[in-house]
Amino acid sequence: MNKIESRCLLCSQPLKTTISWKAFLTKQFSPTICEKCSARFVPAQSTTALYQYNETMREYLHQLKFLQDVALAKVFRQELYTRFKKEKAIILPIPMHPIKQQERTFSHTEELLKAAYIPYIQLLEKTTTETQSSKNRDQRIHASPLFRLKAGAQVEYKDYLLFDDIKTTGTTLKHAIEVLMTAGAKNVQYFTLIDG
Amino acid sequence: MKYTGWILPPALRDFHEGRIWLKNHSPFLPIDIDKAITHQYFHILEGIQKNPFNKCNRCHNIDPELFTIFECASCQQPCIYCRHCIQMGRVSSCTQLILWTGPTAIKKRKHVLKWTGQFTELQQQAADETLASVKAKRSHLISAVCGAGKTELLFPTVHDALKRALRVCIATPRTDVVLELYPRFQQVFPKTVIHALYGGAPKQDGYAQLVLATTHQLYRFDQAFDVMIVDEADAFPYTFDETLQKAVEKAKKADAPIVFVTATPSLKLQQAFQHESTSFIPKRYHNHPLPVPQFDALWNYEKSFFRGKIPKKLKHWTEQRIVQKEPFLIFFPTVALMEKAALLFQSINKQILAVHAEDPERKEKVLKLRNKEIPGLLTTTILERGITIRNVQVAVVGAESPIFTANALIQIAGRVGRNKDFPDGDIRFFHHGITTKMDEARAKIIFYNKEGFSL
Repeated sequence: MNKIESRCLLCSQPLKTTISWKAFLTKQFSPTICEKCSARFVPAQSTTALYQYNETMREYLHQLKFLQDVALAKVFRQELYTRFKKEKAIILPIPMHPIKQQERTFSHTEELLKAAYIPYIQLLEKTTTETQSSKNRDQRIHASPLFRLKAGAQVEYKDYLLFDDIKTTGTTLKHAIEVLMTAGAKNVQYFTLIDG
Repeated sequence: MKYTGWILPPALRDFHEGRIWLKNHSPFLPIDIDKAITHQYFHILEGIQKNPFNKCNRCHNIDPELFTIFECASCQQPCIYCRHCIQMGRVSSCTQLILWTGPTAIKKRKHVLKWTGQFTELQQQAADETLASVKAKRSHLISAVCGAGKTELLFPTVHDALKRALRVCIATPRTDVVLELYPRFQQVFPKTVIHALYGGAPKQDGYAQLVLATTHQLYRFDQAFDVMIVDEADAFPYTFDETLQKAVEKAKKADAPIVFVTATPSLKLQQAFQHESTSFIPKRYHNHPLPVPQFDALWNYEKSFFRGKIPKKLKHWTEQRIVQKEPFLIFFPTVALMEKAALLFQSINKQILAVHAEDPERKEKVLKLRNKEIPGLLTTTILERGITIRNVQVAVVGAESPIFTANALIQIAGRVGRNKDFPDGDIRFFHHGITTKMDEARAKIIFYNKEGFSL
């Protein structure tokens, strides 16, 4: 799993891997993309996301989700790990509909967390196979409930942190928060890879 | 009673013949594909072959670094996929590849060659030799200088093969070359179905007996072609990427001959082909010698650009071109340097533009230069081959940079003097020290001229 990449996962240029003492002693992940490629991702302005949405990010998501290149889940593992390592709340990745997940062959939110060795659990279930990206703003805001609790899920009196790949209008996250709060969660926050 | 049988849709056969395709990516209805499979019209292959080592059955990649293993939600077990050809749709252990084995498409024998041009003596000889080789199913090398009229001399060979109901492929590493060849072949073979395949090409119907494709697209074919022609066989990335060379082998039938066409054959190619299966044309079609590059020192040009000044000699050269109303191309070793320089050049003339590989307006900008809407263009090595502009004058800045190999420099010099009304022109290598590659390029051009005009 933690193999050292010799080529950039995005542009296939050879990676110069210099094993520094810092990387060795602080157990950092080895880089998976070259400096040139990583400079193309722009850090987000908000505190609830890592990056801004731009052309490079669009291409990245396309290759990860549409072309199903799971290996790309590793690209942001160091950044995600740094953000989540001291997190006390329970981390909940936004789930996919089982049919959708079978079509894509993996859940990208889970894979992003797995690549960074971040523990998570699933309490929610997606109710529809519709995608948010196929709807316009109005349809998104007035969508019927997107999630329900899994059978037997114990939610009460705990802190949660939802994780998704991208936040555009925030409808997905809002729906998930609502379900958890009504079920008696103490507090629900969210964090996304990208701020749309 | 309703007829419950199944009739093979001809379009399905026409599309799938010769292709190796992801089963669930077929443009046809899943029900038709399944019916065809029960009729044993398809051979089914697993996406990734595991023994003796991982191998992608589409692109034949065996580099272990380009395989990734993951927990697959579709087959519920660890699954391996190939990252090498992922842009064409993912091939993994649990996906199936289908290969047509059913009835073959109907191949026409009536093909018209509509071409009225005249061959020079050398072209005629090369065309005859190529035809003879292909008829004898022997691979052939055409080595001809830039502007010798290589494409034309393929016409008799292609026409002959089509008339014998053979399937022909012309492959090249460059999309630009496919785009340039396509209209030309459509014009010359008006009765033939021709497909042009490249990344992002539109869907094309029918059975193409003549396929123009980038070498990348050949991953999608398997033992499909009776004659394989590789144009610009020395161009990047073909020479560097072994899987592309394997793709050419895989896409053709085992006994099909390959014709390599190039201006700058590698030593390996030259050694592989002897006597009767080589054609050499050291002369341009218009019977004028190749322009010989001149070396001109441009010391510390990089410093000068970063200080915000165009080196004097280069500035003078550019201004001269503008005054004499000659279109010009200036090649740069890196995009960064070119962009720096572009701003400075625009202070000489606002209309000077710059192009690089990822420029979306690349085609339009070249067209502007051709139509004389702009005086000149700054470029990286992407325009080193395939483009023809009347009376173009060329300068290379930093000709000593490692990116300018002898072949690249020969190709760049080959842009000049291609038109019979303007058979000469200026080709200037501005440098910070002369390299052996520059010497080699010049020596080769002089050698071609000597060969061509000593006869």
